[in-house]
Amino acid sequence: MLDYGLLERLCKADAPSGFEEEVREIVISEIKDYADEITVDNMGNVLVFKKGRATPKKKLLLSAHMDEVGFIVTDIKSDGTLKFASVGGINDTAVFAKQVKVGKNKISGVVNAKPIHLSSADERKKVPPMDSLCIDIGAKDRKDAENYISLGDMITFDSPFENKNGTIISKAIDDRFGCLVLIEMIKSDLPFDMYFGFVVQEEIGLRGAKAAAYTVNPDCAIVVEATTAADVPFAEDEKRVCLVGGGAVVSHMDRSTIYDKEYYKIAMSANTKTQTKTMIAGGNDAGAIHCSRNGVRTIAVSVPCRYIHSSSSLASVDDMESVLEVVRYTAEKILSE
Amino acid sequence: MKEILKKLCIDRGVSGNELQMLAVIKELVGDFAEVSTDNMGDILVSMGNKDADRHIMLDAHMDRIGLVVTYINDEGFIKAEPVGGIDLRTLQSSAVKVLGKETILGVICTMPPHLSKNDDELSKDKIWIDTGLSADKVKELVSLGDTVIVCSEFRELLNNQVAVSALDNRAGCAVLVKCAEHLKDKTLPCRLSLVFSVQEETSELGAGISAYTLEPDEAVVVDVGFAKQDGVPDEKSGKIGCGAIISISPVLSKKVTDKIKEIAKRLDMPCDYEVCGGSTGTNADKISSSRGGIMTGCISVPEKNMHTQVEVVSLDDMEKIAELLSVYVQEGGVGNA
Repeated sequence: MLDYGLLERLCKADAPSGFEEEVREIVISEIKDYADEITVDNMGNVLVFKKGRATPKKKLLLSAHMDEVGFIVTDIKSDGTLKFASVGGINDTAVFAKQVKVGKNKISGVVNAKPIHLSSADERKKVPPMDSLCIDIGAKDRKDAENYISLGDMITFDSPFENKNGTIISKAIDDRFGCLVLIEMIKSDLPFDMYFGFVVQEEIGLRGAKAAAYTVNPDCAIVVEATTAADVPFAEDEKRVCLVGGGAVVSHMDRSTIYDKEYYKIAMSANTKTQTKTMIAGGNDAGAIHCSRNGVRTIAVSVPCRYIHSSSSLASVDDMESVLEVVRYTAEKILSE
Repeated sequence: MKEILKKLCIDRGVSGNELQMLAVIKELVGDFAEVSTDNMGDILVSMGNKDADRHIMLDAHMDRIGLVVTYINDEGFIKAEPVGGIDLRTLQSSAVKVLGKETILGVICTMPPHLSKNDDELSKDKIWIDTGLSADKVKELVSLGDTVIVCSEFRELLNNQVAVSALDNRAGCAVLVKCAEHLKDKTLPCRLSLVFSVQEETSELGAGISAYTLEPDEAVVVDVGFAKQDGVPDEKSGKIGCGAIISISPVLSKKVTDKIKEIAKRLDMPCDYEVCGGSTGTNADKISSSRGGIMTGCISVPEKNMHTQVEVVSLDDMEKIAELLSVYVQEGGVGNA
């Protein structure tokens, strides 16, 4: 069983791309008694080596990203409200009228919403674009706001975490779940030596993973992720991409990577529920890792997750356990060759 | 004021389902006033001199907007429809609470970006809720007709402002409770009825019923009004922190409105005015035409982001309005004017 109390702490930590400190601190404090080497590189990636019972011929990197999608303060208006930009891909629809936290001191704020009563019929039918909105922290004016806020401060969703009846609802399951799986592996007794990368800045262009793959210089890699499930009432058949409750998602191809065929077969044959995507959709750090240096044989294993990149994404505990099983099995198989 | 408001901001109380508010009101005023209910569920609080000629009614609606469960599909997704003027733009990927046999956290279903077009129109016929639970489990816990609210935490902003859902009109309810506290040890020249009314958001039902039952000589309605913010015209709004928004309208009694204005001036309380060409869109419309006509005034707490989960009010404004009303009652309203 994964440690879901730890998942809650990881998900509640606020760490958009470029602001990964809070997650990095949790990761390091969790693994420091179990890892053989821990380094934090120039970008903020946490690179870990853990000895196993045997030293394999190949060097395997397991990778998960610490950052989440969020926002950044771009301007403080004369009325004391804040203009902001998204950090990573967030739909306009996920932002309107949401509660947020601003800056290191977690100042409470809300994304302002023009009341429905004063909105035209056309306005009511569409969520306005993010760049037309502002965040209200209750400041009287710009000067008042400047006492609490600086340009470049991070902004994250202020939303509940729930783990009940086998369902988890939270922000940032993408990719605190991957961090959880890596921590679990590091805490366990490994059959072979392995390398681990808790990487930064995935959401703004797979940037941390690129540097981590260069430094670690692995032969092969497993990326542990959360991926978009679209199994909602108004999507049918192949457009659902993957199913919550359908098991670990192993991709053969996505928008950034064509995965290693042999590893794909190994991962799909693990003794647990697995599925593959029914659309070529999404992308993850594999896109940066597989083309590093002289090439890295790579596979990605993901938990299916609905409403990813919003304040409340949803995933299944059973699927999470399946991912752990697939990652363990695949790592051992790859390294015992 | 903050503690009163927090107690009033319970999840329950979507229009037509206000029953749980009774315990809260009893806790807040039951020690010093007589609390009863009528056929519709309005809460009537009786204070002052019961034999006085003059009878003043203060009204605040206690219901909140929300959703109602209309259907559960074979996959366990819950279909819901609006109760009151819910803003569809605020629902997208929002966490919600399904108020069934137990409270279940869910998320409003949205399409991931790869399947949605930018011109997708929001529609009240497409509200689906995802709890992650199986259809059997959902049907065990949720019945058709159960209500749903959008999640929101009670958050304090700068300058004594708070942000949470249902401040429309729990803010007005809190003003009435505070006013009652001011008056509890005073000898009043009149009979006073505080009404916490039902179903304002759907039909202003409760205010009409209770005004008929109580047959007051005059009434003042406390609701929320538009605060100035982006996209809200100046003439329709009052600045947050300004104190009260006093309504001026053909349906309202000039005598009552003038008395309110005069007291505000005397208390050195800055006010904004909202002038309506016709009815006010508040309970005052129903009360003023009840029985043979009841002289009615209307005061509003300035509120940003009305009908969203991030409504914002100033506790200072609420304190000032409570004070104004308590003076109004102690002077016997317009009875002696």
